[in-house]
Amino acid sequence: MSTLPQKESRAPATCPGSASTQDLDSNYGDGLERECSRKPDRKVSEFCGVGDPTAMLSSDSSYLSSRGGVIKWFWDSAEEGYRTYHTDEYDEDKNPSGIINLGTSENKLCFDLLSSRLSQSDMLRVEPALLQYPDWRGHRFLREEVARFLSFYCKSPTPLKPENVVVLNGCASLFSALATVLCEVGEAFLIPAPYYGAITQHVYLYGNVRLVCVYLDSEVTGLDTRPFQLTVERLEMALQRANSEGVKVKGLILINPHNPLGDIYSPGELRNYLEFAKRHELHVMVDEVYMLSVFEKSAAYCSVLSLEGLPDPQRTHVMWATSKDFGMSGLRFGTLYTENRDVATAVASLCRYHGLSGLVQYQMAQLLRDRDWINQVYLPENHARLKAAHTYVAGELQALGIPFLSRGAGFFIWVDLRKFLPEATFKEEMLLWRRFLDNKVLLSCGKTFECKEPGWFRLVFSDKAHRLCLGMRRVRQVLGGKSQVAEEPHSCQTREPRSQHR
Amino acid sequence: MSHQSDTIHLPCGQMRGQGLGSQGTHTRPLEMMLHLRQTIEKHIMQLVTRHQQQDLVLGDQRHHQATGEQEALLGNLVSQLVSLLRSGATGGLGLQPSYPALDVRGDVGGGQEAQSSGQPDQPVHQLKDPEATFVSQHLSNRGIEISASYQANLQDFRIYQADKYHEDTNPLGFINLGISENKLCLDLMTERLSQSDMNVTEDVLLQYSDWSGQPFLWEEVARFLTYYCKVPAQLDPENVVVLNGCSSIFSTLAMVLCDPGEALLSPPPFYGGFVFSSQLYSKVELILVHLDSESTDANPHPFKLTVDKLEQALLEATLTGKKVRGLVLINPQNPLGDVYCRDSLKEYLEFAKRYNLHVIMDEIYMLSVFDESIMFHSILSMESLPDPNRTHVIWGTSKDFGISGFRFGVLYTHNKEVASAVSSFGYLHGVSGIIQYKLCRLLQDREWIDGVYLPTYRSRLQRAHRYITRKLKALGIPFLNHGSGLYVWINLKVYLDPCTFEEELLLCPRFLDNKLILSRGKTYMCKEPGWFRTVFADRPSG
Repeated sequence: MSTLPQKESRAPATCPGSASTQDLDSNYGDGLERECSRKPDRKVSEFCGVGDPTAMLSSDSSYLSSRGGVIKWFWDSAEEGYRTYHTDEYDEDKNPSGIINLGTSENKLCFDLLSSRLSQSDMLRVEPALLQYPDWRGHRFLREEVARFLSFYCKSPTPLKPENVVVLNGCASLFSALATVLCEVGEAFLIPAPYYGAITQHVYLYGNVRLVCVYLDSEVTGLDTRPFQLTVERLEMALQRANSEGVKVKGLILINPHNPLGDIYSPGELRNYLEFAKRHELHVMVDEVYMLSVFEKSAAYCSVLSLEGLPDPQRTHVMWATSKDFGMSGLRFGTLYTENRDVATAVASLCRYHGLSGLVQYQMAQLLRDRDWINQVYLPENHARLKAAHTYVAGELQALGIPFLSRGAGFFIWVDLRKFLPEATFKEEMLLWRRFLDNKVLLSCGKTFECKEPGWFRLVFSDKAHRLCLGMRRVRQVLGGKSQVAEEPHSCQTREPRSQHR
Repeated sequence: MSHQSDTIHLPCGQMRGQGLGSQGTHTRPLEMMLHLRQTIEKHIMQLVTRHQQQDLVLGDQRHHQATGEQEALLGNLVSQLVSLLRSGATGGLGLQPSYPALDVRGDVGGGQEAQSSGQPDQPVHQLKDPEATFVSQHLSNRGIEISASYQANLQDFRIYQADKYHEDTNPLGFINLGISENKLCLDLMTERLSQSDMNVTEDVLLQYSDWSGQPFLWEEVARFLTYYCKVPAQLDPENVVVLNGCSSIFSTLAMVLCDPGEALLSPPPFYGGFVFSSQLYSKVELILVHLDSESTDANPHPFKLTVDKLEQALLEATLTGKKVRGLVLINPQNPLGDVYCRDSLKEYLEFAKRYNLHVIMDEIYMLSVFDESIMFHSILSMESLPDPNRTHVIWGTSKDFGISGFRFGVLYTHNKEVASAVSSFGYLHGVSGIIQYKLCRLLQDREWIDGVYLPTYRSRLQRAHRYITRKLKALGIPFLNHGSGLYVWINLKVYLDPCTFEEELLLCPRFLDNKLILSRGKTYMCKEPGWFRTVFADRPSG
């Protein structure tokens, strides 16, 4: 029930090469050493095509520490999809038969708007204070702006306070820092699965914290009103199970709007989850990184920060970033909002390692301040483009008779391809994923998100029309059994991962 | 039980709570009494609860052991109280370091415990910051520890941040000669960075990129280092990793080269950030290779690092069961301001090779050599490195270009495995694409660097150095006169009576009271009290 980190960064959507069934040991060193001496199971190498990991590990030992070797191995083995993509990236002119990436959750629809905004003269300020060591929580002017921004867009009942804001270089760092300061080595967070799989790694890499999955069902049963519905009963059960196995759970991670489900929680649901956490004295980390990417007007999104009277404000920590909502994953800006000063201070203490350039901090403040542009230009346009792309892909899927989930938020559709698996196994899921990749379209398979049912895929639609059309055509080909490229042995075995990133 | 470390930091919290921290020294005995009493009360409470809990759960043996620990601690506190009263307690924050029996780290991994014994006593002094808190029921033990040690380390910096000196707006603010930050050329940098070529916002800069940096920046860094490190053959961009600062590079290197509890050798005094960085995530111990500050006939250079000393430290560490994985060197040296000569470097590298040790070479001050008679040798300039696969070079723009706010650090290593393993951490230490572009432009502009920046920078360094050394001479303060870095290593031993680290610590608040921040030798793990580092890379006004 606890999962090993999969090597997936926020960027690449990949199929996991790492086995995700083993238990993490509670002790840092021990766990890793055990990992090393263990022969990685054959299935792994067979499917992820990274060659024999054992050989890799043994050759590492001369230079790397054992944990260094394990870290590298995870990285190498799970980056396959992304690496393959990067060696053969689609380009309209230069590489029209290259791979289309519908796997990475990145908004590529609004670069024109963003580039022009970021090039305006107010962005170009350079002053000495921005070039020097900052306050590690982030520059005061930015924290003030973030507080105002979140107060407005999260509809908080009272103005949020800059003292409760910490700024750092992305939400991955934030997960890592929170895990480190909230948990001891080997302790755990609850997380409803499927979930954005990279979090496993975020909390594990430095923090050595593991995730306990609250598995959700695609089938609507009992009082459920929709597939994969999170209920307090499920949370209670997962917590009990963890406790009975001696796993100390310190918190709950919620993603809202949800990745990969595209789901959003109602205020009532949110409150129930928060009450559950309060009953068990659990911290709640709410990842709201898609909060402005709700493109369907009928979908009423509600931030945790909008709730009147949080059940346990000292244990409620909200995360946001510009990577998704402003389509700037390369900018590395993430922020924490927490009323708990100790947590804010402890996270800030780690910011020397997760800091953000002063110049970028200045630009972010300018951007977040420009409410006119955001409200009148960016958001309407972004939502319209997201909606158009979504409508197109949803229509394609409907035409193919493929069921999917989507509630009008996020950049992706959670697609049910179970009927395309000859057998309901993750092996078959992986084979289908491989067929997509061989047919030059990269998707993310359910296993990457710890989905317990094989056959679900996440399909990212926030890309330009021509790429999207081509990508969908390739998806159709695979599902209709008319792949252009025959299945052939994959050729990833010997390449050095780094060179493949180029 | 899980928050025993609270007690250690309680004094600070208390002082803050009562708003006493910033008062003159005469109130200290009172404060000390007060927080001692409270600490003792708290421990008695813990004793009682422990008795109760352990009667329920644990066997007798552990019960006695735990009780013993608490009793030892109490005894310790009481004896300190007595000695404090006897000594008249003019300041006495020396309370905190000696709680040997208490396992602060609780049940954290073995490496960490091993680490704790080797740790310096953190200067938990004078918490004046209203936001500083150490007592929390919400943080993990390591969270508390991180917060505390960080705050202690950066206390002065935060005081400074809150009350920065400014010619016009805050002429009474703090002058910071403690943080090694190059403020001499902010005018040049501001101007250069404001030029239009810096401002490019392309799609590719806004998207996810390779986590170890943008390929265009690797290439520029490789070219830059090839040129300025005088490398015989062109460096390979594939060997470059870019992260958000040298602390991140060092921390990740420690992570992938050492397992928890393993160790790196380093000769103090050295940059105190290494202590924090090696301990923070990676739980790696730094083994101190102590040097002699006295110059003798046999040893004409104070603090001279020799292979004998390295051998000895390695042997001692090995005998105590430590697994030493590498050697950390800073060149030009921080805080000594010295550079290693080529032969010495070769010897150190040969030594490391003999024992299969990695060498982490921090060359972050490589362009800050202002004495023209001094030749700096990057190890990348060597015709052949003794053990290239175990040699890793760190550089960044924070010091040489005075842009610490940029958050940019570089690793150059021939070892592909190490580069790749460090890159795995990239997404936790990423640099904004826009910044990577600006850095690329900056490093590319050789004409400006060689024609404008470096000559001005060095002459300003020279002038500032001349100014400060003249002042020091006039005051009769001994110092090491070297030609690189942003700081002078000065000896204030004569002002300590007795010559102890407690007294050294007590000197700091006296500087602070006069709105001046220096950093004391203890933070550099210097073995003898009385040394201070004073940074001179600031504008001369006032």
